[in-house]
Amino acid sequence: MKIGFIGLGIMGRPMALNLLNGGHQLAVWARRAESMQPLLDAGARGAASPAALAGGVDLVISMVADAPDVEQVMLGERGVASAGKAGLVAVDMSTIRPAAARSIAARLLEQGIDFLDAPVSGGEVGAVAGTLSIMVGGSAAAFERARPAFASIGRNIVHVGESGAGQVAKAANQIVTGVGVLTVAEALNFAARSGVDPARVREALLGGFAYSRILENHGQRMLDRDFRPGFKSWMHQKDMNIVMQSAHELGLCLPVSAATAQMYNAMVGSGLGEEDSIAVLKLLERLSGAAS
Amino acid sequence: MRVGFIGLGVMGRPMAGHLLAAGHDLAVWARRPAAAAPLVDAGAVGCATPAAVADRCEVVFTMLTAGSDVEQVVFGRDGLDAGLVVGSIVVDMSSIAPETARSLARRLAARGVDMLDAPVSGGEQGALAASLSIMVGGPKRALDRVRPLFERLATTIVHVGESGAGQVAKVCNQMVMVGTLQAIAEALHFARCAGADAHRVRLALAGGSAASRVLEVMGGKMVERDFVAGVEARLHHKDYAVVLDEAHRRGLPMPVSAQVSQQLNALMAMGLGRCDSAALLRVLEAGSR
Repeated sequence: MKIGFIGLGIMGRPMALNLLNGGHQLAVWARRAESMQPLLDAGARGAASPAALAGGVDLVISMVADAPDVEQVMLGERGVASAGKAGLVAVDMSTIRPAAARSIAARLLEQGIDFLDAPVSGGEVGAVAGTLSIMVGGSAAAFERARPAFASIGRNIVHVGESGAGQVAKAANQIVTGVGVLTVAEALNFAARSGVDPARVREALLGGFAYSRILENHGQRMLDRDFRPGFKSWMHQKDMNIVMQSAHELGLCLPVSAATAQMYNAMVGSGLGEEDSIAVLKLLERLSGAAS
Repeated sequence: MRVGFIGLGVMGRPMAGHLLAAGHDLAVWARRPAAAAPLVDAGAVGCATPAAVADRCEVVFTMLTAGSDVEQVVFGRDGLDAGLVVGSIVVDMSSIAPETARSLARRLAARGVDMLDAPVSGGEQGALAASLSIMVGGPKRALDRVRPLFERLATTIVHVGESGAGQVAKVCNQMVMVGTLQAIAEALHFARCAGADAHRVRLALAGGSAASRVLEVMGGKMVERDFVAGVEARLHHKDYAVVLDEAHRRGLPMPVSAQVSQQLNALMAMGLGRCDSAALLRVLEAGSR
């Protein structure tokens, strides 16, 4: 399949490489030309703009930072829509507000372009291994057309519902993981400050109803004090902000998410933004009187 | 002085009325012409567009709901921008995000127009009684010119700092006020559920360290179960989006404000947005036996 890929950062680059390895014909565009080079070396074709990229492919995928970037590459000057290619499927795999995804979908549809919101979970590790979870919102027909591309970069691929549904699922994912990391950090800090070995507490909890993948993986990295990212705190802060904005728009009471969002604010504000989100343990220790 | 006033709602109408009563030459514009009628009847000039207001005035006040409304009135089609001249002053008394206020001030300064962000506290009561508090951000030279007008509206006028500083002070005001309101709702709800008379508990608290204006006014409304607005809760809900956005943008933990915002979300979901924020009590009641 002929695929165009926009945004070649930490996530986008390995995803694009997996599309190449999956036998797809790939064209790429990135804001910084030098980030295209590794893909060109691997056999991808470079494009001069998102519009030029869209002209020669059946499917365009974007993996960028935030909603304004998606709007720019899809609907901006020399953006995907300006190629005027009706029948194209555009897929955004960034994490943005559901309302923003729905608005982009509606405007692209006016140009005859089908849009899927398809954010991922699994981090850089999942992107490199091609084992991402992909949560998709949009029409079933567009989903079927994009499926061969998804199959090259992900494993757990779920068509959640109409436009925006993928981003809603991602926001829900970030609530569970954001709160989960904080919960595990609180429990392990509580154990340690109560004079009990947190490693044994983790082991005991793994066998019961407190078991979770976060307790297993993130919990271990907390014990190892390995705070290298992984998933950077500032990104989770951004995602919790999406959750809180959506709660405001919808009139939803999310007290636990609200408390969690404030802890991520404190992480970014106190200089832990570039560390993995498990560094929330350091913040808790600091707020609990430990020297760290 | 030739003064313009845009936005003639619950707050703007009495404020504009005070300026007219003080003998200023007042020009007005409102989205709904009916809102301007009482002032026009009292002697103000009704204009067809914001641009026409700016064209005939030295100082133009705006009193609107959201930042996007202010941007629209200033820089939209037939906006103030089309009528302002070098030396004009724009005074925005709406409560909007500090960042929006700074951006508007920058754009106006580029064409020789000073802007003050001058949000108020005191509600409809304060607007009617001309006893508002005004928190001002922007150049001192502009405040010096506008101060005689402010004195017709307010008993407290504080120049907080440069552009945006007035809005920062307003955000702080909302955090303290609505946070206190939530605490009082919880205390009075607790009192009643624990078998004490909420009315007497409020009287007891009013004499001690827990005394506050909010306990007096909103606490009073809670015990009387009078949820008719004063300030509509939906406006506080709007303000809290600014509070949480500032916390996010600056990487600041604001745990209490975050919880208050969730109670306001619940209040909106219960359809109480047009009630007074004293209705935060009803959100607590909905989650209790």
